[in-house]
Amino acid sequence: MTNYHGQWLKLSPVAIIYFAVQFVKDVGNNLIYLLPAILVGYNQFSENGLVIISGLSALLLFVAISALLKFYFYQYRLTDGRVQIHSGVFQKNHIDLPFERIQNVRFEQPIFYRPTNHICMLLDTAGSSKLEAKIIALPKGVAESLKQEILSHKTEQVSNAENEQPEAEHEQILNSRSVQDLIIHGLASNRIWIVLGALAPFFNSLSEKFIAGIENLGVDVDALMASSQYAFWQYVLFFLSIAFIVIAFMALISVLGSVITFYDFKLTRSNDRYIRRNGFFTRHEVVMKLSRLQMIVYQQNWLDRVLQRVNLKFEQLGASLDRQSAGTSGGKIMVPSVTQGEANDLAADAWPENKLSAINYHPVSKRLAVRNTLIAFWLLIPLSGVLAYFGNGELAVASITLFILSTAFIILSWKRWGYAIDDNFIYLRKGLIGVNYRCFPIHKVQQTKLSQSWFMRRFKLCSVKLVLACGGQTLPFIKRTTGEKYIDTCLYQVEALRKSWM
Amino acid sequence: MLADKFSNQSIKPDSLAKVSAQQFTPLSRAYVKVNLMCRLVFWLIVVSVLLVLYWQPWFPLPKMVALYLPQLQLAAGLFGLLSSTYGVIADKNKGYAIRQHDFSYRSGVIFKSVVSQPILRIQHVELKHGPVDRHFGLANLEIYSAGGSMHTFAIPGLPEEKARELRSYVLTHSDIAEND
Repeated sequence: MTNYHGQWLKLSPVAIIYFAVQFVKDVGNNLIYLLPAILVGYNQFSENGLVIISGLSALLLFVAISALLKFYFYQYRLTDGRVQIHSGVFQKNHIDLPFERIQNVRFEQPIFYRPTNHICMLLDTAGSSKLEAKIIALPKGVAESLKQEILSHKTEQVSNAENEQPEAEHEQILNSRSVQDLIIHGLASNRIWIVLGALAPFFNSLSEKFIAGIENLGVDVDALMASSQYAFWQYVLFFLSIAFIVIAFMALISVLGSVITFYDFKLTRSNDRYIRRNGFFTRHEVVMKLSRLQMIVYQQNWLDRVLQRVNLKFEQLGASLDRQSAGTSGGKIMVPSVTQGEANDLAADAWPENKLSAINYHPVSKRLAVRNTLIAFWLLIPLSGVLAYFGNGELAVASITLFILSTAFIILSWKRWGYAIDDNFIYLRKGLIGVNYRCFPIHKVQQTKLSQSWFMRRFKLCSVKLVLACGGQTLPFIKRTTGEKYIDTCLYQVEALRKSWM
Repeated sequence: MLADKFSNQSIKPDSLAKVSAQQFTPLSRAYVKVNLMCRLVFWLIVVSVLLVLYWQPWFPLPKMVALYLPQLQLAAGLFGLLSSTYGVIADKNKGYAIRQHDFSYRSGVIFKSVVSQPILRIQHVELKHGPVDRHFGLANLEIYSAGGSMHTFAIPGLPEEKARELRSYVLTHSDIAEND
């Protein structure tokens, strides 16, 4: 490493591809909003092929030039104990980052870096997401030794203070996921509904196009519906099979997505650091120090419950929105679809004293269900009365049905709420059909809040919110005396133990 | 380690220091007055804009608007008065308390809450004062922890002197000094 020190360095030329891909991605992200317009205007476009081709080639040229320029203006330097990066063509960007401010070192290996074995190195800081530094293309060996240097820079300081030799590095595999596990994860995680949700505004025009398309094939949909030559069950079967095909197709996409993101997933531990490696096209490597871990989450949706799987999440600092949008959400470690036993092993490895698997949860007060039902009642029942008065019987019935349904869900979610405490941890259970178990050390609490509405005061209840570095956790509708005890315990542990939260 | 003197005592839950047993200091009277004034002025402006709209000679109003404008004016005026009165009650309910190791802030009339912030977890402190606050010598003390900007601990309406005092109390506190 030492021969690199003190001089400004250029990236390897592979970085040009990186810049180009990044640019195309950025443009693509913005184009998503234009997608409906493009679809609608497709016919007009297809008539002017020449214009399109020339436009596209101009765009390609532009991409190539901008990538070259970015590459030309990017340089970095490693002086003693700090990384400096100069980048930007028109808007210059200078980053000067001392090693001790670096929280996290992450590696990313896009597929086009693999032949030359280069790596993109991301340096996270605790402060604002703007200060995140990226060294875009480093040979893998250099990157590894640089990582060691940055990380040992930290341990050096600590060990000087405590007079302790840093232990030898050796990585130990905690968990790996096979393709079969990933398929299960893809089936169970219904990320596809998010895609559907995003498409919702275009459903109308899509279905119109769909029907128009079928009619073009010579099928008269209206006649098909109206004709009496098919029995009712045949229609039902027809729609069921279509629904089945659609769902199967979506499940396939979801499975593919899961396999691509988590392919060859490995969670390893070396001393106090957890390392997550995964990815089919782009390899990700995320390192998390154990002391940065804020909360362990077991997540199970209804399919996970059927399949007896758990998604385990190690939450660290900054799950807040502003950081996620900056693309650093990769800092969180998620182990997809592990079995209950494996999840317990992982949790026990991180925090040996935690009793996430065995703790008994206290239920929250049934007033929570009562209050929510009352809210639903006053929102929906008068509405149905008004609707019935104006002779809109169907909508009135629908509104009453909605009330009954929401009551059922309110009671279900009330049943899921639970909380518990032991000497070191607070446990939380919540959910609706799926369940979510959370566990965090009491001494990592940042702030507490006790709140009471007029309704809760009458029944001597309160809600407690405990804010962690990864977000606020709420214990709703518990006894006021219990809530006060929890807050006093939290404040005592934070202030008396004086343990660091990161 | 410094924590040693704390680490092994067994503490009965009942003998912990209680957040709820603290004496809360109400915010300064000036804050209540300034807030009331601001609200009244705001609603006065709203009502007078509606009045100007009603009396103005330049362009005719749509029929519906002309018909309901007086009612709207009345409603806005009433709502303004009510919310101002409620604001006074709410402001009088706000208060803060300081212990050796943490701050607490109490607020709310129907929805009451007490937020507590251990000094050990404070990341940085800010004094904020807008033009109106500055004129009346008031300041807001904002305390940020690692919980993110959503969970900023803020004490509004402190006399400027007091706010500076509190800030230097935080900055020179042993819990913070040790952290650095």
